[in-house]
Amino acid sequence: MAASDPNKLISKADKLTRLSLTRWNADWKSATVLYEQAANGFRVARDYVNAKIAYEKASKGQEMLASPWDAAKHLESAAALAKDLSNWQEVGDFYRRASELYMECGRPQPASDALAKGARALEDSMSEEAIQLYTDACTILEDDGREQMAFDLYRAATNVYIKLEKYTDAASFMLRLGLAADKCNASNSQCKAYLSAIIIYLYAHDFKQAQQCYNDCYQIDAFVRSDQNRCASKLLAAYSDGDVEEIKRIAQSSTISNLDHVIIRLARKLPTGDVSALKSDNAEDEEQPLDEDDLT
Amino acid sequence: MSVVDILFRVDTICHKYEKYDIDKQRELNAYGDDIFARLYAAVENAIQTALNVPFFPLFSSVSVAFLLLLLHIHVFISMQKSEAALTENNRAAGAALNAEVRRTKGRLMDEIPKLRKLANKKVKGLTKEDIAVRQDLVLALPERIEAIPDGITGIQTAGWSSNSSQPQIKFDSEGQLDSDYFQQSEESSQFRQEYEMRRMKQDEGLDIISEGLDTLKNLASDMNEELDRQVPLMDEIDAKVDRAAADVRNTNVRLKKTLTEIRSSRNFCIDIILLCVLLGIVMYLYNALK
Repeated sequence: MAASDPNKLISKADKLTRLSLTRWNADWKSATVLYEQAANGFRVARDYVNAKIAYEKASKGQEMLASPWDAAKHLESAAALAKDLSNWQEVGDFYRRASELYMECGRPQPASDALAKGARALEDSMSEEAIQLYTDACTILEDDGREQMAFDLYRAATNVYIKLEKYTDAASFMLRLGLAADKCNASNSQCKAYLSAIIIYLYAHDFKQAQQCYNDCYQIDAFVRSDQNRCASKLLAAYSDGDVEEIKRIAQSSTISNLDHVIIRLARKLPTGDVSALKSDNAEDEEQPLDEDDLT
Repeated sequence: MSVVDILFRVDTICHKYEKYDIDKQRELNAYGDDIFARLYAAVENAIQTALNVPFFPLFSSVSVAFLLLLLHIHVFISMQKSEAALTENNRAAGAALNAEVRRTKGRLMDEIPKLRKLANKKVKGLTKEDIAVRQDLVLALPERIEAIPDGITGIQTAGWSSNSSQPQIKFDSEGQLDSDYFQQSEESSQFRQEYEMRRMKQDEGLDIISEGLDTLKNLASDMNEELDRQVPLMDEIDAKVDRAAADVRNTNVRLKKTLTEIRSSRNFCIDIILLCVLLGIVMYLYNALK
């Protein structure tokens, strides 16, 4: 075979697949083989554009041969090359298509892996798309009943949200992590997730939301019995007292240092905004009901 | 030459000429096969160092003189533990010494059952009376060990003997509750300061330990979760590998069958016969054409 010139291989394969008067059935088998060889040749020659195209065609050939697994693999390679070319739209498309093919094979795990890879590639450039991919990957895993694998994806998605400064979404993702951890009895991850959610709310300076979140989490046995619960209650108490020193001290404690590094960075930057304002608000709320003449 | 070198050389020389060391040889050879006597002597020595009281052994006619010499040397050279404990001004050091004495007493009490068993064994060169004497000695040992003063017993026996012998102890002494009475002496305030300092240091140390333990706990639970994650994957791998192994075994068996069939001896003979026939035909043609 003419392995030295990938171009020749491509043109030969194209000829095999193009339907014309002399050719009534496209010969996909040999064409696919030629496409794969051409793609390898291009990759070695560092001709990424052509290599990508060759991989695409090879994947199409494998689809025609009814082997979605190989097709998906080729698409992944094509997507990796598209990433090198900074062709972001194509990256997203390729990874999505690859994941669909994996699902066709009945293998949800490689499907979610493909989506995760896509999301990681798109984190910097197309963050919205990245988040979408992460969410889809997590959904696939949850449907398969493998929430354990989803933890890392949730954490990565939360990091992207925090980078985009969408704190409520980040906190809600953390709560989803907690839910997934609950299903697998991973109490340590669960408690860490809840503590991270509370910290994110505090960083967004939404004290009421943080308090509510804490109350919700308090209902859960595993959280109540944990170190993270104590840390969270200390933090909220320090916030309501308006004690900045205490907040800084808690942020340096070892419980918070065991969380994800993005969350640690947020915690170290606490308190944001004016903590004493919170203190006076709370004080006012408490004095009203203490009216001795009111006998009800 | 440095001090370390000198020390090393001295040690080696002493070790080399050990056989000329009278004291050491006496100690090693004193009892030969007599385990009981050796152990008993060791217990006696321990009691001596705790008591610092001269002692005269009652047994083993052969080695009495040597033993006496040994014990006198011990008496002069060994630490005056319980005496020192009684006279120690610094209460903390005194408490430590008393604790040491108590530990020694505990150890000695543990040795007594061994001695009792050994006392009943027959050793050559000992008469029946000697064995009886040994048993009596072993029986007397516990009381002697208990009698060593160690800060608790001393005070108890002293207190119970007679109150009048302790003129310093008073109750509700009238007229002396003036301002000087409750004043902290320098000693006690220093003691309190030291206590506070040590407590603070202990707290700091405990804080460091607790942080380390936190990290360890976090690591351990993360590892736990990771392992939980790996378990179903391993099960899958297990099943897949089992299937692959079964497939390979099947294939092997079939391959073997096919190969034996192809290379069977019958085919081989047929091949040779046909070759011979072909050769015969060629020869015939050759002969015919010639």
